[in-house]
Amino acid sequence: MPFRKILAWIRSIFGRKKTFSLGFYGNVSVGKSTLANRISKDWTGEEFTKVSEVPHETRMVVKKEKVVVKVNGKELDMNLLDMPGITTKVDYRDFVQYGMSQSEAQQRAKEATKGIVEAIKWLEHVDAALVVMDATHDPYTQVNLTILGNLEARSIPVIIVANKIDLKKARVDRIKEAFPQHVVVGVSAKTGENMNKLYDAIASKVK
Amino acid sequence: MGVHIEFISQKVLSGKTQAEKLNFILNSVKKDKILVLEEPLSREEEAKLIEKTMGSVSKEFPGIEVSTLGESTEDLRSALIKMLGGRPAGLTVIGPSNLVKQVKKDPNKLQLLAGK
Repeated sequence: MPFRKILAWIRSIFGRKKTFSLGFYGNVSVGKSTLANRISKDWTGEEFTKVSEVPHETRMVVKKEKVVVKVNGKELDMNLLDMPGITTKVDYRDFVQYGMSQSEAQQRAKEATKGIVEAIKWLEHVDAALVVMDATHDPYTQVNLTILGNLEARSIPVIIVANKIDLKKARVDRIKEAFPQHVVVGVSAKTGENMNKLYDAIASKVK
Repeated sequence: MGVHIEFISQKVLSGKTQAEKLNFILNSVKKDKILVLEEPLSREEEAKLIEKTMGSVSKEFPGIEVSTLGESTEDLRSALIKMLGGRPAGLTVIGPSNLVKQVKKDPNKLQLLAGK
């Protein structure tokens, strides 16, 4: 692992790219796609990824290229990568509860498992990551720890996004306490609250 | 129906390649066993285990619950401890998700609710 860190450091000196890929990671239904759409809409005027109440709506990596974010006179040229939500289990019966037929639910479950594998494989290839957490839930989950641990091991810049701050139950402080070593920004991807703070954080992380 | 829990000593998994280790874990979990590993999985191993689990998901086996207590990063300190014959502090608990209903954790405590 120290070798990887040295390699990442060398790359950071010699291999600076003009465009960087920003991956949206996190558990299922934490608002990754809503956040990705919010950023895309703020800077390109259009959304690019589907959002739904049904879990595992994003079952393959969805890409939006050439999103230019302007922060404090600086231009950040990004490719947004909306990742499937990562989880340790996929039960087709959960989809049946949303009105799907058995076969539709099984097909969705099959696609969801493939999406999770794809998201994990991409951990090695993103240049920076937003780890999105639902601020109304306990953040200290194994999935969050596994995602963060793998990004840290590869020295990939990370910002934790505490999403859904528009909800009364949201507790950004709990996420800050759980992961004191990371930058945590509370936002509402739905209403757009605090997005400027997130853009500032991205700009300082990838400078 | 009772719950089958196996405590796996570090010796059982030492000397195994990562693939062998993960196969051992997944095969046991698919037989409805809850494993407690004396040596915690690293974050990279956890990610690989999730990948492997996703390849095994079926109607009968929806997946796993996994939780690691303690340090399991592959940093220089852990590498040195391993090189000197020591083992990183902590443990990992893994079980089938249709048996392990809930895992609650904080940095110092793991709580598991299991049952058919």
